[in-house]
Amino acid sequence: MAILECRALSKRFGKVQALDSVSLKIEPGRVIGLLGPNGSGKTTLIKLANGLLTPTAGEILVDGRAPGKESKALVSYLSDKEYLPEWMTAKQLMDFFADFYADFDRERAAEMLTRLGIDETMRVKQMSKGTREKVQLILVMSRQAKLYLLDEPIGGVDPATRDYILDTIIRNYNPSAAVVISTHLIADVEQVLDEVIFIQNGRVLLQSSVDEIREEKGKSVDQYFREVFKC
Amino acid sequence: MLGKLLKHEFRATGRTMLPLYGAVVVLAVLANVSIRMLSGNVGPLLSIFFGLIVAAFGICVVAAGVMTIVLMVKRFYTNYLKDEGYLMHTLPVSVHALVWSKMIVSIVWFAATFAVIGLVLLLTALIQTDTSLAQFFAGFPSWAEIRAVLAREGVRMGDLWLIALELLIAAIVGGLYTCLHFYAAMSLGHMFAKDKILLSIVFFVGISFVLSFATTGYSAGRLVSMESISATLDTARQTLRFVQGIIAEAVLVELLESAVLYLATVLSLKKGLNLA
Amino acid sequence: MEWVFRSELPIYSQLVEKIKLGIVSGALPPGTRLASVRELAAEAGVNPNTMQRALQELEREGLVFSQRTAGRFVTEDVSVIDTVKRDLARQQLERFRKAMGELGYDREGIMALLKEEE
Repeated sequence: MAILECRALSKRFGKVQALDSVSLKIEPGRVIGLLGPNGSGKTTLIKLANGLLTPTAGEILVDGRAPGKESKALVSYLSDKEYLPEWMTAKQLMDFFADFYADFDRERAAEMLTRLGIDETMRVKQMSKGTREKVQLILVMSRQAKLYLLDEPIGGVDPATRDYILDTIIRNYNPSAAVVISTHLIADVEQVLDEVIFIQNGRVLLQSSVDEIREEKGKSVDQYFREVFKC
Repeated sequence: MLGKLLKHEFRATGRTMLPLYGAVVVLAVLANVSIRMLSGNVGPLLSIFFGLIVAAFGICVVAAGVMTIVLMVKRFYTNYLKDEGYLMHTLPVSVHALVWSKMIVSIVWFAATFAVIGLVLLLTALIQTDTSLAQFFAGFPSWAEIRAVLAREGVRMGDLWLIALELLIAAIVGGLYTCLHFYAAMSLGHMFAKDKILLSIVFFVGISFVLSFATTGYSAGRLVSMESISATLDTARQTLRFVQGIIAEAVLVELLESAVLYLATVLSLKKGLNLA
Repeated sequence: MEWVFRSELPIYSQLVEKIKLGIVSGALPPGTRLASVRELAAEAGVNPNTMQRALQELEREGLVFSQRTAGRFVTEDVSVIDTVKRDLARQQLERFRKAMGELGYDREGIMALLKEEE
């Protein structure tokens, strides 16, 4: 069964149609790139899957259920915002995640923090922007979730951190979980993806495997993307 | 999961409230010493100094009260309606648990602030008037005296306890109502994409207006019938029963209004959440 | 191994080429135990499913075999490796001859040039 499914999903903000009748399925064991220019509806789609927004029409199902308390236990979400409370230390954040998520692997999180040289007693307030992003990623990737929704995980990080993030995603690979990475920096993530979904003006233009695109078009997904979204 | 939310919320708010209570207590001690000093023979510079400490104590007491309300509003706002909302609204907990956790913790702090300030002011009054605790309690009638009066008036002890219980419930419902008034206004205001804070204020004033209009209208209607009843009250027991009824009715009305506000809060968080 | 990918070919087929080259060049000697799919994928920085597909292709070609519990190994059958090596060498030769042909060299011309270079 698909871990994430949209059926004629639409979301409207006032006069703006952010998503327009989107239908798609995401199967477990896949790493999927949700690709599109800024404002194409990527974040809206991810927020709908998290229950942070309610559909205007159509439906979105996580593991066969509408987003809610049960689905949230299965989804590990990395927002593009800095959402960690500033007063908390890395250790308190691990306590917090361990309290609320049964699938949180505390040892793994502590190990990753140590490897990146982040002191557990450091408060979020004292951390640099880069460190905050790393801590957020560590918390999100230390869960054994069924669906990871990563909204712009590599936007604005240095190359070393980007490599670390991608490496973490690969090493965390689990055949029963799906990873959705939303980004507009395709060249950087292309190699770690199975499939890509192109989205523009709230509509899905294509869903295809990376190697299929390379085979059929004779070009990388990044090159193909630039062609499709030419200004 | 409510328990875990409560634990986290106490952790988050305790960092502010406990030091504040500490400051109130420390300043209370200093202020009491200062008042003593001021009544003695001190120079002008020292009297200014002691005066400032007494003033600081007064300000701290007011600040503790204000801060309890401000923190209640701020925690809901930053934790659920700003960026931290991305963390809190993706937890596997119900919206009900989210709202209740904030409400319960706020009411506990309301009570604690009330207790701390009340105790500190009472002790200050006792110290400054050279009254010992024994003297203070001697000022109250003994149980035997109270019983005697009650028996003479034909009132049962249970009636008094009932009123005390009613007042306690009234205080709790009042706390719920205060929280929900802010929560509902902010949740409604933040459903919109722009001018979220301005709209929250508009909703706050709007809710105050509508609910006070409804309450006043209802009370005015009831007042007429109550007047006719109060004329027929002969015994103390009847009067007491009448007061019990009035409190119960007022609490019920407030509870009903709170329920409406609760519904508005939960529905706007569930269906209209629109984090920036 | 250095993992650099060209953009116009499927990633899995580039992985196949890379590992093949490692085997015939001796960088991965016969009987070597390969790291897990996840490990290899992480090392190459590619999707584990893509790496899996590449390894399956190599298994199909007989260069790699898997034992249910122990993992994947490079074949111990040297003749298979030699055949693949020869195929790869032929492909290179073919490419070379084609390029030289475009420059106007025939077989004899190429041989003469090679002798001259020594």
